[in-house]
Amino acid sequence: MYDESEKTKRWEGGYERTWEVLKEDESGSLKATVDDLLFKEKRKRVFESHGQVRLGMMRHLYVIIDMSKSMEDQDLKPNRLTSTLKLLEYFVEEYFDQNPISQIGIISTKNKRAEKLTELAGNPKKHKEALNKAVGGACSGEPSLYNSLSLAMDTLKHMPGHTSREVLVIFSSLTTCDPSNIYDLIKCLKATKIRVSVIGLSAEVRVCTVLARETGGMHNVILDESHFRDLLNYHVRPPPANSNSECSLIRMGFPQHTMGLLSDQDAKPCFSMAHLDSSSGPTLTLGGYYCPQCRAKYAELPVECKVCGLTLVSAPHLARSYHHLFPLDAFREISLQEVQGERYCQGCQGDLQDPIVYICNVCQNIYCVECDIFIHDTLHCCPGCIHNQSNP
Amino acid sequence: LRPPTTRAAAPGPGSEGSRGAAPGRVFASHRGPGRAGSGGSMAADEDISLLVIVVDVNPVWWGQQILKESSFTLSKCMDAVLVMGNSHLVMSRSNRLAIIASHSQESRFLYPGKQWKPGNFAESGESSSAESSWSGSKDGKYELLAFGNDIVTEEIKDLMAKTEVRAHLTETLLAGSLAKALCYIHKVNKELDASHELKSRILVIQAAEDSAAQYMNVMNVIFAAQKQNILIDACVLDSESGLLQQAADITGGLYLKIPQLLALTQYLLWVFLPDPEQRSQLVLPPHVHVDYRAACFCHRNLIEIGYVCSVCLSIFCNFSPICTTCETAFRIALPPVLKAKKKKLRHPTLNYLAS
Repeated sequence: MYDESEKTKRWEGGYERTWEVLKEDESGSLKATVDDLLFKEKRKRVFESHGQVRLGMMRHLYVIIDMSKSMEDQDLKPNRLTSTLKLLEYFVEEYFDQNPISQIGIISTKNKRAEKLTELAGNPKKHKEALNKAVGGACSGEPSLYNSLSLAMDTLKHMPGHTSREVLVIFSSLTTCDPSNIYDLIKCLKATKIRVSVIGLSAEVRVCTVLARETGGMHNVILDESHFRDLLNYHVRPPPANSNSECSLIRMGFPQHTMGLLSDQDAKPCFSMAHLDSSSGPTLTLGGYYCPQCRAKYAELPVECKVCGLTLVSAPHLARSYHHLFPLDAFREISLQEVQGERYCQGCQGDLQDPIVYICNVCQNIYCVECDIFIHDTLHCCPGCIHNQSNP
Repeated sequence: LRPPTTRAAAPGPGSEGSRGAAPGRVFASHRGPGRAGSGGSMAADEDISLLVIVVDVNPVWWGQQILKESSFTLSKCMDAVLVMGNSHLVMSRSNRLAIIASHSQESRFLYPGKQWKPGNFAESGESSSAESSWSGSKDGKYELLAFGNDIVTEEIKDLMAKTEVRAHLTETLLAGSLAKALCYIHKVNKELDASHELKSRILVIQAAEDSAAQYMNVMNVIFAAQKQNILIDACVLDSESGLLQQAADITGGLYLKIPQLLALTQYLLWVFLPDPEQRSQLVLPPHVHVDYRAACFCHRNLIEIGYVCSVCLSIFCNFSPICTTCETAFRIALPPVLKAKKKKLRHPTLNYLAS
C-alpha cells in the first residue's frame, strides 16, 4: 500500500553528545556560548522564502480542535484545552492579518462526534467569541478523526477551484474512533485536493502521519508551548499552491465608505445586512459600505454580500498580501571587520556593536541584527533599496 | 516708563513665552497643560513619548515656492518644525524627538545627529565641528533646545547645499524616510528596560505630491506601523494626498491639509502636539472621507467592481483571458454543454404531435 519512506527515528541513531556543544572560555564561563545560542535563536525566525512558487492566497481553512478527555491533561498550563484555545485566538488574529481575504471555520470533536463551532467566515470577531465560549466546555470521550474530517470536507469540496482548501487538526489523544475505514477518506481528501496538517500534542500517531503525507500537509508534535506557537505561526503564511489548482479571475466589489452625517438631508438610517447573522438585534446606522451591485449595506469589510453573492473587499486588504508575492531576500552575513567606512546601521542610525552585521545584496547597505529581524518580519521592504528605486 | 524685564530677550523659536513661566520659577514644577486635566489615564512618569517628525524637503517644490515669490519658504517651515520639536521636548522630561528630512535622493536624520550624545556639551576634543564651535545659548534658552536647533540648522543647510539635484529624480522618498523612522523607533524600544513603556508617533509634513511608484512600499510601511501601534499623523501643505489619508486612517492618526501656509506653527501646535490620549478631549478637525476604491492595473482608473487574479492579486476592470502581471491563462467558466438528445423514432403521428 503506502511505501515506508520514513526517516529513521532518533532512538535508532547513534549517541548524540549534547554536552559537547557547550564550550567554556578561559575563565570557565559559558557566556560566549550562551550569547551565541541566543543569537542563533533570534536568526532562526527569519525563514527562507519559498522562492518563485505560486502561493495559495485565498485560503479556506478549517481548524479541528480535539476536545477529548486527554485535553484535560495539565502538561500545558493551566490545561491543554485552555492553552490551545488561547493560542488559537492569537492564531486567528495573525491569520487574518496576513491573509485578509481568506476564511476560517472551527470544528470541535468529542464523544466520538464532530460539531461545527463556527462556519467558514472572514470576520475574526465571531471566531474569537466562539473560542472564548469553548473555554468553559467540558472535555469528554474520544475524538473522531473521520467524522470531523468528513464534516470539513462536506463544506470544502464545494469551494471554488482557485482557492486553497486546508484543514488544520490539533490532535491530543492517541486514539480515534471512526465509523468506517479512514484510509478511504484519505483517498477522497486527496481527490478533492484538500491539504490536511496535524499538530500533535501527545505523540506521533501513524494515522496522522499518513494523512499528512498523502494530502501534502505536515505532521508535527509539540515540545512545549513556545514550540506550539511557532508551529501555528508556520501555518499562518500562505502555503505553496497545488499544481492543479485553477487560476481564475474573481469578481470583487470595492465599496465606498459613506459617512452619513445628520446634517445631510438625504441621510436616512438603515439596517446593515450583518445583523442577519449576529445574535444582537438589528441596529440602525447612518454610514456604512454599500455593495456596488445591489446596494445592500454592511458595517465592515471584507464580507460576502448575502443578497448578490459578490465578495466585497477594500484595496488595503489586497495590499496586505502583496508582500507574500514579492518577498524580501535574506541579507548576507558579514563580519564587522569587513565593513569599510562609517560603522553605523543604515536603518536605525545606531552604532554597530555585534560582530556580525548584515548587508543587503541589492543596495549594499549595512544593518544591525535587530533591524534585520525587524525588516524581514514586519517591514518587508529594505529602506536602502527604496532609496535606490528612483535612481536607475 | 517701562518696568525692567527680567527675561533676557524676546521669545525666539523654542522658548515658550506663552507658557506663562514667570521668571525665577523652577521649570520642573510647572505642569504641562496636557497632564493637569487628564482624568482617567494618569500616565506613569516613566512613559516615554517619542515623536518622529518627517519633513519633506523636496528641492523642486521648495524651489518653485521661491519662484512664485511666496512668503512661505523652507526656512519658515523649518522654524515651525523646530518650535514643534522643542515644544514636544518641553512637555515632559521623558519625551524624545527625532527629525528626518526627506529629500528626493536620500533621507537624513537631522536630529539626533550621529556624533551627538546627550550630556556632553562641555567636551571638545574629537567632536564634530558643530559641537566644537558651539558657544552656548545666546538668549537664555534651555541648553538642550538651543543645541538641538543648531544641529538641525547645520544639517539642513548641509543637505540642501551639497546634494546635487538630478533632473529626472523629482519625487520625495517618503517611503524610505518612514521605513528608517520605524527602524529607529524599533531600536529605541529595544533599548528601554522593562519599567518604561514607549509610546511613539510619526508626524509627516508633506509638501510635494504623492509618488505613485512608491505605493507598495508606503503600504508595507503603513501596515508595519499599524502592527507596532505607531500612529502616523499627516500635515499636508499643498495637494491632497491619498496615501497619507489612508495612512492616517489605518493607523488611527490625524490628517490635515493646512488652509493657510503661513500659520503652519499654529496648526502644528494646536492639532499635532497633544498626545493621543488627550486627543479625545479636544475638538479636532473632522475626519476626511477616505477613498478606498482600488485602481485598476490597466488604466489606473478607480473602479467599484473589478476582477482580481487569484495568483498575483492584480486588479483589472475588464475580463481578459490572460493576466498581464503574472501571465497565467484563465479558465473561462462556460455553461455545461448539453449533448443533443437522440430522438427515438416512435409512431409517426405521435412524433408529429410532440414537435
